[in-house]
Amino acid sequence: MSAELEDQVTELLQFLYACPVGLAELSADGTIGMVNPLAVKLLLPIASDGLVTNFFQVVGSYAPELRHIITAFEAPYGTVCEGHRIFVHAGGKNGVADPLVLACTLVKLDARRFIATLTDISKQMLQERRLKQAETWFATLLDSVNDFAVVSLDRHGIINGANAAAAKQTGFNQDAMMNCPLDTLDTPENGSASYSAHEQIAIAQRDGWHLDEGWRKRPSGERYWCQRLVAARSEDDGSHPRVISGYTVVLRDVTKNGSDSVKLKEMLTTDHLTGACNRAHFFEVAERQRLRCSLQGQPLAVIAMDIDHFKQVNDGHGHATGDAALKAVAITCKALLRTNDTFARLGGEEFVVLLPSTDMAAAVKLAERLRTAIGAVSLHAGDKLLRITASFGCSVTTNPSMTLTELLAAADTLLYVAKRKGRNRVEPDNCVSGGTPGGKVTRFAVAAENQSGKVGIGICE
Amino acid sequence: MHGFAEVSLATLSSSTSDTLDHLPYGVIGLSSDGLVEIYNATESKLAGLPAERVLGGNFFNNIAQCMNNFMVAQRFLDEPEIDATIDFVLTLRMRPTPVKLRLLQSKAVAWHFILIQRTL
Repeated sequence: MSAELEDQVTELLQFLYACPVGLAELSADGTIGMVNPLAVKLLLPIASDGLVTNFFQVVGSYAPELRHIITAFEAPYGTVCEGHRIFVHAGGKNGVADPLVLACTLVKLDARRFIATLTDISKQMLQERRLKQAETWFATLLDSVNDFAVVSLDRHGIINGANAAAAKQTGFNQDAMMNCPLDTLDTPENGSASYSAHEQIAIAQRDGWHLDEGWRKRPSGERYWCQRLVAARSEDDGSHPRVISGYTVVLRDVTKNGSDSVKLKEMLTTDHLTGACNRAHFFEVAERQRLRCSLQGQPLAVIAMDIDHFKQVNDGHGHATGDAALKAVAITCKALLRTNDTFARLGGEEFVVLLPSTDMAAAVKLAERLRTAIGAVSLHAGDKLLRITASFGCSVTTNPSMTLTELLAAADTLLYVAKRKGRNRVEPDNCVSGGTPGGKVTRFAVAAENQSGKVGIGICE
Repeated sequence: MHGFAEVSLATLSSSTSDTLDHLPYGVIGLSSDGLVEIYNATESKLAGLPAERVLGGNFFNNIAQCMNNFMVAQRFLDEPEIDATIDFVLTLRMRPTPVKLRLLQSKAVAWHFILIQRTL
């Protein structure tokens, strides 16, 4: 053989040795004539005798139909099958590295020669299965379910909240669940294929959510078919990597009948305590609104708000009073907003209002109304009446390239200016242009109303 | 002393490339990160690849993907000391070829070796 030819053969061999698709040439009875290393690698874990010499023998126990498919193919040449799935589930020898599903394409060259290609499609299959699960989950929301049990976990997977339905469904006392890991109340049956809470949380941490279903047992011994969705709650402020603050777990006793998809949606998108939009959902909605406003050339306004001296309410009057204050603020604010506005609790005593198609003047006007309304709320703390106030920072953008994070940061900075200037006040962004024509931002009556020296919380008789 | 079943790591690592080339079985020496540093003439002939094409390449990823598994590559990672002989099927020049592989690894020697003997 000439040196040049030799070189070409070498190159061809190197190409085939490194080829990322398994290739094999077969005779009609499955005897492998030529094969590349990847094909051997894919077939080796499922070859019962550890030898890869006959294709049908190797895949026989996983895809016996392949032999028949080839025999039944009567055309003199052509594609016999394309992407035929072979569920090998080799597991064991190579552990997790083994392929689970292979896609096989067979091409007939002539009566005696076939080419097979093999690809490991395990990853795509997993992805497909997860999509299918999600589809099933959301489809079944529309029928056959009546009660959603919701359990909230902290970022370590420890239960820090559960609704009454959760107690009813799992058979555990609502208080007894607190501070326990999820598996305590929701034991999969022995030998069940269900994921443990630990595994589900790990997947939710990676992918955002995980859905599993299987038989579970109540303390009474009664078993029920349970679907369990674990969704990660993240402080998604656009920063990377995402910081997970906890998990929301939705449990469904599928044996029951009825439907309440609205309720489930509400539970996934609202803050447990105040009913305000939750943080994750806020960022989703806000990003959509930002896009819409920038497309329509409309301004988008954000009001950042924070209850004044909230720590003192909590410390001085107990967490129950603090919770009541948060709820009262949420109810008061929501009553004053338009349907398109979004009111969200971002955490602690921080709230945010998103106002589509709103300029600075209108945003400040609304913030003033919110401020006044909150100031008029009276809370009962024991035998005392408690008053609360809040501070506000308003920012507006008409610039499509301004991100949500930047817009929020601007409102936040102004909120702290309001705090510094004595609290119970609204701080507009004076640098903003592009408000209503001629509508140069004014301070309204804020200055006149600024009761300097007065703390945000007063106690009345 | 130089037979497939008897040859030691010490002998292999101290042999000249000329000596290795004259052995009747394939000799592949890999660095700790899996790069081919020794590739004898017998192996070159069996696989159809000239040594200069292989030396310095990543063996398990580009040259012998079929050995990138629990039976070969994984063992080098898991077992600090190996001297094991296994039956295997290699794709020498794309032909499935039954062979005996001898895997050799020791902390004392920088290279790990794969010896390949065609079973006739």
